[in-house]
Amino acid sequence: MAESTSPVDALLKGSSGRSARGLLRIIILVTIAAAAVSSRLFSVIRFESIIHEFDPWFNFRATKYLIQNGFYDFWDWFDDRTWHPLGRVTGGTLYPGLMVTSGVIYHILRFLTIPVDIRNICVLLAPAFSGLTAFAMYLLTNEMSSSPSAGLLAAAFMAITPGYISRSVAGSYDNEAIAIFLLVFTFFLWIKAVKNGSIMWGALAALFYGYMVSAWGGYVFITNLIPLHVFVLICMGRYSSRVYISYTTWYALGTLASMQIPFVGFLPIRNSDHMSALGIFGLIQLVAFADFVRGFLPGKQFQRLLTASIILTSGLAFVGLIVLTMSGVIAPWSGRFYSLWDTGYAKIHIPIIASVSEHQPTAWPSFFFDLNFLIWLFPAGVYMCFRDLKDEHVFVIIYSVLASYFAGVMVRLMLTLTPIVCVAAALVLSYILDTYLKTSPGPINRGRSSEDPSSEALRSARTPEVGISSYFSKAVTTSATIVYLLLFVAHCTWVTSNAYSSPSVVLASRMPDGSQFIIDDYREAYYWLRQNTPANAKIMSWWDYGYQIGGMADRPTLVDNNTWNNTHIATVGKAMSSREEVSYPILRQHDVDYVLVVFGGLLGYSGDDINKFLWMVRIAEGIWPDQVKERDFFTSRGEYRVDDQATPAMRNSLMYKMSYHNFNKLFPMGQATDRVRGTKLPSESPQLSTLDEAFTSENWIIRIYKVKDLDNLGRDHSNAVAFDHGNKRKKTTKKKGPRVLRSE
Amino acid sequence: MRPFATVVTALCGLVLSSSAIVSADASSTSSKTLLPADFKPPQVFKNVNLVRNTNLEKGYARETVNVVVENVDKQPQSDYYLSFPSDTFDRVGGLEVRNKKEAEKGRFDVEAVEVDLARDVQYFVVHLPEPLAPSSQVTLGISYSLLNSLHPRPATIEQSDRQYLTYSFSAYVPSAYQTVTQKAKLKFPGTNVPDYTTTDLKSGQDPERQGSTYTYGPYNTADVAPGTSYPITVRYEFTKPVVTASLLERDLEVSHWGGNLATEERYWLHNNGSKLSNHFSRVDWTVANYQQSPSSAIRELRYPLKPGSVDPYFIDDIGNVSTSRYRPGLATREANLDFKPRFPIFGGWNYSFRIGWNNELSSFLRRAVSGADSYVLKVPFLEGPKMAEGVQYEKVVVRVILPEGARNVRYQTVEGPLSNGLPGASQIQSSLSTHKTFMDTLGRTTLTLTVESLTDEARDSQLVITYDHSLWDALRKPVAFTAGLLSVFAATWAIANIDVSIKKR
Repeated sequence: MAESTSPVDALLKGSSGRSARGLLRIIILVTIAAAAVSSRLFSVIRFESIIHEFDPWFNFRATKYLIQNGFYDFWDWFDDRTWHPLGRVTGGTLYPGLMVTSGVIYHILRFLTIPVDIRNICVLLAPAFSGLTAFAMYLLTNEMSSSPSAGLLAAAFMAITPGYISRSVAGSYDNEAIAIFLLVFTFFLWIKAVKNGSIMWGALAALFYGYMVSAWGGYVFITNLIPLHVFVLICMGRYSSRVYISYTTWYALGTLASMQIPFVGFLPIRNSDHMSALGIFGLIQLVAFADFVRGFLPGKQFQRLLTASIILTSGLAFVGLIVLTMSGVIAPWSGRFYSLWDTGYAKIHIPIIASVSEHQPTAWPSFFFDLNFLIWLFPAGVYMCFRDLKDEHVFVIIYSVLASYFAGVMVRLMLTLTPIVCVAAALVLSYILDTYLKTSPGPINRGRSSEDPSSEALRSARTPEVGISSYFSKAVTTSATIVYLLLFVAHCTWVTSNAYSSPSVVLASRMPDGSQFIIDDYREAYYWLRQNTPANAKIMSWWDYGYQIGGMADRPTLVDNNTWNNTHIATVGKAMSSREEVSYPILRQHDVDYVLVVFGGLLGYSGDDINKFLWMVRIAEGIWPDQVKERDFFTSRGEYRVDDQATPAMRNSLMYKMSYHNFNKLFPMGQATDRVRGTKLPSESPQLSTLDEAFTSENWIIRIYKVKDLDNLGRDHSNAVAFDHGNKRKKTTKKKGPRVLRSE
Repeated sequence: MRPFATVVTALCGLVLSSSAIVSADASSTSSKTLLPADFKPPQVFKNVNLVRNTNLEKGYARETVNVVVENVDKQPQSDYYLSFPSDTFDRVGGLEVRNKKEAEKGRFDVEAVEVDLARDVQYFVVHLPEPLAPSSQVTLGISYSLLNSLHPRPATIEQSDRQYLTYSFSAYVPSAYQTVTQKAKLKFPGTNVPDYTTTDLKSGQDPERQGSTYTYGPYNTADVAPGTSYPITVRYEFTKPVVTASLLERDLEVSHWGGNLATEERYWLHNNGSKLSNHFSRVDWTVANYQQSPSSAIRELRYPLKPGSVDPYFIDDIGNVSTSRYRPGLATREANLDFKPRFPIFGGWNYSFRIGWNNELSSFLRRAVSGADSYVLKVPFLEGPKMAEGVQYEKVVVRVILPEGARNVRYQTVEGPLSNGLPGASQIQSSLSTHKTFMDTLGRTTLTLTVESLTDEARDSQLVITYDHSLWDALRKPVAFTAGLLSVFAATWAIANIDVSIKKR
C-alpha cells in the first residue's frame, strides 16, 4: 500500500482516480442490473416465455386491448366479456400504469421497426424494471450514508433478494413489477427534496408519485408514509423551510397527478386512507405560520397562545374529519384496511379476502426465506440510523417500523418491507467493511483528513475503534462477511429457482429417467374452449380461473380475480355447492354454457376445486345463510370427507358431482382413489342429469361440462335421464305395449 | 450436391422456358377470362375414349381423366373446354392437363372461364400449344383433386365408432363434348364399402368389383347428350381424420446478412370428419389410445423437415405446444417434427397453430449466371405434414420476404415430367408489397402468392424466384443504423451543451 508508484494507485488517486472510480461504479451497477435481470429468467429458460399465475393474464389481456384499440378506447373500455351479465367498466377500475408502460415500450420498438411481440415485452417487463430498481436503490442508499459501498451493497441486495424476486420474475406481469421501482425511486426523490428543500426534487417526487398511483394500489403506502415522516419531523422540532417546501410541493402536485387516474378520482380528498396527507398539509401550514409569526414576536405568553391555538385548530380539524366521516362525505376506511389492523377481521367479514393465500399472516420462517441474512442485519441498520439521526434517517426508521408491522400481517406486504431491509442491511455492512478495510481511500480517510492535522499523533489513541490495523481481524471480518454474502447469493438463487419460478399455468414433473415432463392441462383445456366453443359461450368457474379463461380461452366468464362483486361470486359459490335442482336454474339465469372445474384427484394436484370448495361454501353462506351451510359439508365428527361417508350435502353438490363424474371408470371396480385426499371413492359414479361432460384434459386437471338445454318434452332433467336409462333396459317390453292397446 | 443440381436444372428450365416466367408486379394477375352468360362451348371435339380414375384413399378425391380427343371440325382447333358442375368448380384443386403421350413436354395452359355464377356448369379452357388438325387425335391426361368432396355419413358418430364417408359423382363424365365410350374406376382405401349405387346402364354387373377397386362402365355413350348426369353415390369406411386446413400462411424470409432462410407456417386446421354424437369422453379416449385403435381424430401430425433444418418451434395462440417432439436430423437426413396438438381433433373441431424453423440459405440461393447482382432462390412451394390420410388446403398464401431493396422479382414453379400438384400459372395470384421489420428503412420486397384449393400432392413442388440485389442494397442497413446512432449521439451532445440555468454562471 505504501508504494504509490504502482499503476493501480495512480488510477485510484487524484482526479483521474475519481473518474476511474466513477467508471468502476457504473460497471458494477450495470453488472448488478444484469444479475437482477438474469436471476429472474429461470422460468423462461426452463419453460418458455409465458405469462404466469392469474392476475398477470388480465394485465396481459388489457395490454393487448390497449395496443389494438389505442389509448382512448382503453380509457373508456367497458368489458362485456367478464362478470356476465354485469360487465365491468375496466378502463375506470384498473391501474393503467403497467399497461401504458408496456404499450409505450411496444410503440417505441415498433417505431424503430424492431418486431418484438407484445407478450415478450410483458414477460420481460418485470426483470427489466428490477434492474432499474437496483439502480434506484443505489441512489436512495447513497442519500443515507457517506460510505461508498453502502449504495452498491443495497443495489446488489435489492437485485437478488427473494422477497422482491417473488413478485418480479419473468412472466409475473403484475402491477408490482413496476411499482417497486417507482416506490423506491419516489422515496429517493422525496429524500432528495427534503435534504435540499428544492422545489424541483419535490416536483419530481410528485411526478413519480403520480406514476406510482397509476401503477399500483399500494401507492397508499407512500401517501401515508411521507406525511408521517413530516409529522415526526415536526414533532421532533425539526421543522424547517426545506420540509415545508418539499412537502407542499409534493402534496399539491402529487394529489393533482393522482386524481387524473379514473380509478382514484376524488379519493384523495374523500377517502380516509388519504386523510393523513391532507391533515399534515394543513398542519404544516399552521406550523409554518407559527414559525413565521414567532420570528417577529418574542413574547413568551403569545407563543404559548399560538401553540394553544394551533393545537385547538388541529383538534377542530380532527373533529371535523370525524364528523365528515360519520356523515358519509368522507368514505370510511376500506375493509382491506381494517384487515391490516385485525388479522381476524377478514375471515369474519370479508371471506373473499381471507380466501386468498397471499393475504394470510406471514409465518416467521418466511422472513428468513425471503430475506436471508438481511433480516438479522436489519435491526442493526435501524440502530445505525439512530446514531446520526438526520432527517433521512428518521424516514428509514419510520419506514422500517411500519413495513415490519405490515409484513407481519400479510404475506404479500413482505414486498414493501424488502427495500428498507436492503437499505438498513447495506448501511450496517458498509459500516463494518469501512471500519475494517481502511486501506481503501474511503470516507474514513476523508473524515480523518478533515480533522485537525496537527493532532495526528494523538488521534489514534483518542479514537481507537477507527484505526484497526491488525491484519488478522481484518481477514477474519472480511472473510466472514464474504461467506455470508456468498451464502446469501446461494440462498437467493436456490429460492428463486425452486420457489418463485413456476408459471403455475404449466406444471413440471420429472420422469423416472430424470427428464422433464410437462403437465399442460390448463392450456389444453383453455385452448379447447378457444377453438371449439362459440365465441360467446359463457364459462362458469370459480373466480380464481376467471382471468386465465379470459386471457387464454378468450371466452366470457361469470366471475374473475377482480373480486369487486361479492354477491356475484357468492352466486357462483351457491351454484357449485348446491344440489343440481337448485343449481340448474342459477346456471340458466346466467346464460351459462359451460362449467369448468379443476380436479387434481388423478394426479395428486392439491390446488384443486375440492380443496377450495369450503371457501365457496363460506362465501355463499355469507349471502344465503339459510340455503348454504358450511356445517352440512362436515360429517358429524367434523371431518371434511369425499368418500362413502361424505355428507349428503357434499355428495349432492354440483362441485362434487362434476369432480368425480365417471372418475371410477379409470380404475378397476371399487379401486377408485383420490390421490389428493388420499381416500377411496364410492364405487358408484355420481349421476349428473343437468350437465354433460364436454371435455376433460389429459390428466383430468380441468373438466368442462356443458349445461344441457331444457328438455324437449318439458320434463325435468332427472326424470329425462331416468327415463333414458330405463328405456335402454326395457326396449323389448316397450314395443309390445302399443300393440296391446291397439287390439283393445 | 443435390440442391446444387436442382438449381442447375432450374436454371436450365429458366433458360428453356423463359416465356413461362411470371414477372411479379404490384398488381395481382387476373386468372379468369370473361365470356357471355349464355356461352356454350363450340362442338368441335369428340371424346373418343375416356377413362376416369378416382382415388379415394385420402381425405379428398383425386381424379385422373385420360381422354382421347378428336377434332371433328373442319378447322384446326386449339381450345378444349373442361366442364365442371358449379358446386364443385371452386373446389377443383391442382388442375393439370398434359399430352399423355408427351408428358415430359410440360403442362398446357389452363384458364378458368368466368361466366354467370348462376349457371349449372362452369368451364376451364385448355389451350393446346399446337392446334389440333381436323380429324386427328390427341390423348389428354387431366388430373385434379376435388376438395371437400367427401361427406361423412352418418354425420355424427360415437367416439369409438368407425367413420364412413360418401362420395357422389356422375356415371357420365360432365364433359362439354360428345363422349363415345367411358368408364370410371374407383379406388377405395379398404374393402369395407357397405353401400354403393348399382346401375343397369350396361349389361352385366355394374360396378365390377375387384378388391378395393370398383369399376363403373365401360358405357357406350355416343347417343347420350353431353352434360347428362347419372348420379352415383358410394359409401365406404374411412376411420381416419379428414384433415383440412382452411388457411395456410407460409412465410419464407431470406436474409443475406444472416445467411438464413426462416420459414414460418400458420395453420388453421379443421377435421371435416364425422362429428361426435355425444361429447368427448376422456375415459374412452384413454382406452382407445392404449389399444392403438384407429380413430377419426387427428392424434398427431408428422412433419418431415429438410435436412439441415434447425431451431424448430411449434406454438399456438397461448404458447408452446409442449406435447410435441422434435427429432433432429443430420446434415443429410430429414429431421422430423412430431406435432401433437394439445387435444385430439375430432370431426368438427378446430386447431390453429404455427410452426417454424431455420435453414442455411446457401442450399437455397445461388448467384445467377447472367448477372453479378442477380440471385436465384429455389424454395419449396408447400411443405406441411406428411400423412397417409392426406391434407387438403382450402387456401394457401405463400409470402417470400426478400432482402431489402430486391428488385426485378420474377418467379416460376418448377415443372417436371410428373404432376407437381400445383395448378397452372394463371391460377396462382401474385402481388408485390413491402414488409418493414428489424430496422428497415425501405422495407423488404415481399412476393405474395395465393392459391386456392391445394392438396398435399403439392408437397414436393418447388418455387424459383429470381431477383436483383446490389451491394449498396446490402449495405443500406448498416449505414442507416450507424447514421441513426451517430445522430442520436450528436443530438445528446447538443442538448447537453444547452445552458438552461436561470442563474448566471
